[in-house]
Amino acid sequence: MSEALFGLVARLADNKYVLGRRYAEWCSSAPTLEASVAAAAMAQDELGHARALYPLLRTLAPAAGVAVGPEIEPETRTQFMTLTALAEPFGGWPDFVAANLLIDSALTQIFVAAQSSSFEPLAGRSRKVLQEERAHVVFGAGWAKRLAGEGGAVKAATKGALRRMWDETLCWFGSAGLDAQSDPLANSGALDATPDELRARWLAAVGPTLEAAGLALPVRHDAKTGAWELTAALPWDRWDASAYRLPALAPVKEAAR
Amino acid sequence: MTMKHAATKTTSAQGSAVAPAHTGKRLGTERVWLVLARRAYDEPLRQIGTVEADDSDLAGVYARSIYDEFAWIEMVVIPRDTLITVIEA
Repeated sequence: MSEALFGLVARLADNKYVLGRRYAEWCSSAPTLEASVAAAAMAQDELGHARALYPLLRTLAPAAGVAVGPEIEPETRTQFMTLTALAEPFGGWPDFVAANLLIDSALTQIFVAAQSSSFEPLAGRSRKVLQEERAHVVFGAGWAKRLAGEGGAVKAATKGALRRMWDETLCWFGSAGLDAQSDPLANSGALDATPDELRARWLAAVGPTLEAAGLALPVRHDAKTGAWELTAALPWDRWDASAYRLPALAPVKEAAR
Repeated sequence: MTMKHAATKTTSAQGSAVAPAHTGKRLGTERVWLVLARRAYDEPLRQIGTVEADDSDLAGVYARSIYDEFAWIEMVVIPRDTLITVIEA
């Protein structure tokens, strides 16, 4: 369990850190002044969350068999456990909104599941993180609806950005088919849900926003069960379970003329 | 990992990253919201500024992030177009 918990905290901290950097890159260039200031505030939040999580790596490292050294310190860390979608600066505002709506909320689902964690330092931080994340949810939902409402190329660009991040975000919760006994994080009480349950919670959180905005992604609402379900299989054959990321697809070569 | 700063982006503060560049069109039709706040219980709410937002939730997020210079005990937003003029300036 120690190794799994170390990995969870590392990828939470690293993704928070990089997401904060990506948000910060837009703090003077969002479509409106208000959104720019909000981007700066969200960047501060994310970087603060990362800053609060990194010291836990020092605590968890010995039991996880990880050397306490520069690689677990935030100032000298180089091996980041981050999503491919965050590896490069956002290409446009739709990418920002997609990351805010999908990736930020996926990270938040982990904190929701860690509020009563058996690892108390994570539980305590989770409660504080969730207070600050409320504004991020409102921002992502509001902007997704607004961009979709523009229609045409703006809506298409937004849908494209969401689709590019969709599979990786869903895979990021962890392998499919694990039950509470076989998933080390659920089994130890570090989280109160298995990866499949986390995926279901996340779909229930973002599904209504996507539907309200008319952004068609591979998810549907089952009126009988009330659940939000995927309508397309996830690319598990490409999923890098050791790095917790989905490698980018190789660019399609231009056909020979 | 590349941590290149996006200083080379050509976006403006008026939405050229998403709106068609040739139209110069600003995204959406935003409502103006008055932001009122107070710092102590014995003070009245007073207007501290405005924000532009599509809905009250987003207006609240914007107001909190822009006007965070004090530890306000209360902050409200109200659509400017709902005010009724009694004495015109």
